[in-house]
Amino acid sequence: MNPSPDPVVADNPPLPEPPPEPLLRALAPRLRGLERQLRGWLDAPRRFPLTMLQRAEIEGLVGDLGRQADALDVERPLLVVMLMGGTGVGKSTLLNAIAGSPIAQSSFTRPTTRDPVVYFHHSVRSDRLDPALRVCRLAQHDRPGLEQKVIVDTPDLDSNDLANRDKLLALLPIADVVLYVGSQEKYHDQLGWDLFKEQRQRRAFAFVLNKWDRCLTGESGLRPDEDLLADLKAEGFENPLVFRTTAQAWVDAANATGPGSTPKPENLPPGEQFALLRNWLELGLTRIEIESVKAQGVGQLLTHLARVVEEVRPPDLSAIAGKVQTGWESALADEAGVQADVLVGALEPYQTEVEHHFSVEGQQRFRGLMAAYLRLTTLFRYAGSRLRDRHPITGRLLGGKVETPAEWNLGVFAQDCTRAAGERVLDQRTTALVNRLLVEADHRGFPLTLLSESTAAVGRLDWRERVTRAVIDALSEVERQATHPTGWRRWVRGTLGVLANALPEVSLVVTAGIILWSFMVYQHVPDLFQMLLIAIVPLTVIIVLHVLILLVLPIRWPVIRNEFRGRLETGLAAELGRVYLPIPGEIAAALTAEREQVEKLTAETRQISEWLAQRQQAVRVSELYGR
Amino acid sequence: MQPLDTRAAVGELAQDLGWLENYCRQQPELAMNAGTLRLASALTRNVIGPFLDDQPAMPLHIAVVGGAGAGKSTIVNFLAGSVVAEANPQAGYTRHPTAYLPAGPTFPWPSYIGFMGPLNRISEEKPADLDQDVYQVKRLPPPAAGGLDPLSEFVIWDCPDMTTWASAGYVSRLMEVAALADLIVYVASDERYNDAVPTQFLHLLVKAGKAVVVVLTKMREGDAGPLADHFRREVLGRLPKLPGGTTPAVPVLAFPQLPQTVRSDPAGAGAKYRVPLLNQILVQCETAVAARARTVTNAARYLSTAGEGLLDVARRDLAEFDAWKGAVIAGEAEFKDRYRREFLSGEQFRRFDRYRERLIDLLELPGAGRMLGNVLWVLRTPYRWTRNTIASMVVRPDMLNLSEQTVLSAALMGWLDKLQAEALARAGSHMVWKGIAQGFETGLGTQARDKFQQDYRTFELKETDELEHAGQQMVDALEKNPAVLYALRVGKLATDVMVVGGVLILTWVPSWYHLLLIPLGVSATHQTAELVARGAAEAARARVRNQRESLVASALADPLAEWLAGRPATGGTSFERLQQVLKRVPETIHRLDEQVAARVAGSIPLAASAPTPPPEHPTA
Repeated sequence: MNPSPDPVVADNPPLPEPPPEPLLRALAPRLRGLERQLRGWLDAPRRFPLTMLQRAEIEGLVGDLGRQADALDVERPLLVVMLMGGTGVGKSTLLNAIAGSPIAQSSFTRPTTRDPVVYFHHSVRSDRLDPALRVCRLAQHDRPGLEQKVIVDTPDLDSNDLANRDKLLALLPIADVVLYVGSQEKYHDQLGWDLFKEQRQRRAFAFVLNKWDRCLTGESGLRPDEDLLADLKAEGFENPLVFRTTAQAWVDAANATGPGSTPKPENLPPGEQFALLRNWLELGLTRIEIESVKAQGVGQLLTHLARVVEEVRPPDLSAIAGKVQTGWESALADEAGVQADVLVGALEPYQTEVEHHFSVEGQQRFRGLMAAYLRLTTLFRYAGSRLRDRHPITGRLLGGKVETPAEWNLGVFAQDCTRAAGERVLDQRTTALVNRLLVEADHRGFPLTLLSESTAAVGRLDWRERVTRAVIDALSEVERQATHPTGWRRWVRGTLGVLANALPEVSLVVTAGIILWSFMVYQHVPDLFQMLLIAIVPLTVIIVLHVLILLVLPIRWPVIRNEFRGRLETGLAAELGRVYLPIPGEIAAALTAEREQVEKLTAETRQISEWLAQRQQAVRVSELYGR
Repeated sequence: MQPLDTRAAVGELAQDLGWLENYCRQQPELAMNAGTLRLASALTRNVIGPFLDDQPAMPLHIAVVGGAGAGKSTIVNFLAGSVVAEANPQAGYTRHPTAYLPAGPTFPWPSYIGFMGPLNRISEEKPADLDQDVYQVKRLPPPAAGGLDPLSEFVIWDCPDMTTWASAGYVSRLMEVAALADLIVYVASDERYNDAVPTQFLHLLVKAGKAVVVVLTKMREGDAGPLADHFRREVLGRLPKLPGGTTPAVPVLAFPQLPQTVRSDPAGAGAKYRVPLLNQILVQCETAVAARARTVTNAARYLSTAGEGLLDVARRDLAEFDAWKGAVIAGEAEFKDRYRREFLSGEQFRRFDRYRERLIDLLELPGAGRMLGNVLWVLRTPYRWTRNTIASMVVRPDMLNLSEQTVLSAALMGWLDKLQAEALARAGSHMVWKGIAQGFETGLGTQARDKFQQDYRTFELKETDELEHAGQQMVDALEKNPAVLYALRVGKLATDVMVVGGVLILTWVPSWYHLLLIPLGVSATHQTAELVARGAAEAARARVRNQRESLVASALADPLAEWLAGRPATGGTSFERLQQVLKRVPETIHRLDEQVAARVAGSIPLAASAPTPPPEHPTA
């Protein structure tokens, strides 16, 4: 096969330079603006986490964006052509051949080049070079054809000296055009090929098959250049620029004649194309093509950026959050039910105290004889509950268990209950509840990583305090209802209250009055029994009334208990719901906000990309890019 | 050990290592270990196996290896003494190994089962770029004009490269031959000699104890010396130490860029380069038996020193597996703890009250004595009333318990939820957890609950039995022991009678308030009896509590924990195999190592005394 003619040089006579159009320069501020926005977004705290890799990739791209902006914000942008390849393929020799003098060290020991060499026009001030290039070995020239181009020789990518590979990787982001240099041995090597595949979406690629003389010895199999072309075609490069060179021959010829001159060496192998490569570098890459390559590079960068940012766009979880909430509601209701059971169970030992308390509360509205009577009976009835706290020993003797004494103070008492219940049951249940909710959320498709932090934080809250408050609330509520009933109970109670407050006194007065009347009018001297009647009648009335009150408005533990349990369950469910239920919604809302931000960034990126595409001149540089 | 056992052990080890290699290949992050594992399994199959099977030492094998385009085929031609291998400028052209047999009397080709592993020998000649798991065997033409073939005991292998991007597909074939070889000719060009990938391969070969001869190619004639020096310093200077602590001695030869005329006539024009190479090879392989013994010994030593490292991949996965086990066990502990705290601590086992009453009943006299008992019962009535009233006022009721079933199902749910949450949280870190998280999605939880339900049924039966048994035991202690029972009955009766008699005698003639002492006294004796019975009931209750705890552990928690912990090891996942491999491989390696050592120790003096033809040293 004849080496394919270089399309740029062969078909395209040098065009007159078009009037300078500040396209790239106008692009620079927009890129900077985008860079600022992206940096702000990267630094902002976020709910939806970025993996280390994603963050590193985006940070790298943002850095490239800033670099591009700086590189474009000049009158005549520089094109950075970078030589990339394995050790010994002849990168430095190639640069020396292009320069016509030994500017880059080359020798038979591998690897030779450890420090990159930058070859640029003397009119370019070195502070216009990218900062990464300024620390390299600098070599200036005065060739007008290469005025706008910077050629960089890089260290290898495959030797045992792994630091070289890192240096190359640090330099690659600066390259606009990568000249992938291969030799007969290495054009197929995995390390270089992988790097090419990784970078090809981001920069222009041209290929050099150096040591061309060694490629022509074959008896069978494909010739290396055909093999390479086939591989490139498979990668989407339909018509790539491939230069077959024997750089060493050109260097030897230049050495023979003296520095600066570029004589054509004798005995070049057939199809050698170094001259073509030099021509392409000097003449083929005109100003307009440089702009085009630059613009294409920015376009690729923006596309890549848009894709990567799109990838880290948080998902839309609002619908799922709703579902999770529904799921959690039932789980929390179940939990509240069990917790209420446990707490009521824990209250069981204190039932006498509760009854006593309620009775005392109920007695507040009675006056006079009735009040005195009630106080006396209550004292007797609940004497035990005080007794066992003062004398715990009696309890033990009679086979009961000793409890810690609880003063009848609603707060302390409720705390006691909660502590007992918490130690036995509730603490474990609270941790289990968090896991239950997480599993439930996962079941409905909510990402666990987003939730676990918030739920764990809620799980650490002081639950005993909250439960104690719920117990107190429920007790006072029940108490209020018991002591202030509504509906018919209220009427019955009111009537009974009036009767109880009035009847004993009335009966006392009436009994005494009747006896006095019979004494006054009939001179009937009352006997002992009649005198006692003054006390017995009111007492009977009181007892009847008391029995009536107990029957109609009972304050017994089993009655209070159910009421209390119901209220406690409602209270606990409300408390649990208040704490847990908003979590998925909050996260979903935060994600939506982050999502909008990402969308804004992507839109902005796309917009710049389109703006660029509209203005980009249709110059034939497509063979530098694959599909 | 019988030869059959040895063969089985070799086969098993090779299979285990091969399985591990495949296992690594399936996981991107472990794929880099596949090559080393292939080398290990190939060493077992191709070197140790045939040796222990008493296969003949001859022929020896030379493998020519190197990066793409380094000049392997040219070196093969120089070894063969004529152009037999096609030198080809297309990098990575050769895709399967080719063996060149020496001319002259035919060697028996190794007939060991498993030799060359999955690589099949193809009979017809195929181009070297056939990309299949095969190898071909060619016979060298006889040396020209009756000359002697210096390598008449050697098979020369032309191998594929390890540097091109296509090599990922065929590097295992290279490993297969490299493992087989008694001597490696490592070819490195002036471009390649300091490349990372071939150097890694060289390190691996040296670690595996292969004898290596390095051939540097393609440099200019004048650069040959400095280049060899540079190579010795840069590459050989960094070789790993051998297990014995020595640095291996690796001879380096230089083959400069040769003109076509020299390349096409290795035996004639190329003799200047060929003879030193042959010399180096023959020096390294003085006698076939000794060379083979060295190959086998080094292979066994490599396996026993590197074996642990080879298994690291498996170990890492097993560590995750252990972490899962740990999570299951922690969950089990929590489960038991919840059962103890939420249920057992508050459970009174009311059934025991019945047994306690029976115990007190037992102390009453039967038959005619019943009358006396009834009289005493009546006498104790005021005491009984007083006691009950005070007790109801003073004794605090117990905290109400959740039912056993509620507690158990809540604890189970907590356990499973915790495991699932943990698996979900760690799903990203390792495939073990991912597999478990997926298992939960596809009904692992339901299966666990079903299993629990089954266990629960047996548990329920057992717990009722146990409770009855404990209560019965309490009563049986007296019922089955009439002597004690009657002694107690009589003792109690005697005390009562003594109290009544004592009161009457001491206060004769008693007034009405003296008589009050009688009900008081009999009440006191009865109260003592009751206290004793209560103590017995409490002790039994504590016993039952402990028994119940261990019953829950043994009947419910332990089987489920075992089932859950073993979960990743069943259902087609590879953990069972992984565990097996981890356990078996070091043992087998150790066994084979010992056998090889014994066999070598036996064969070396034999080899020394056996008349072997002296190796020919061609002189230029």
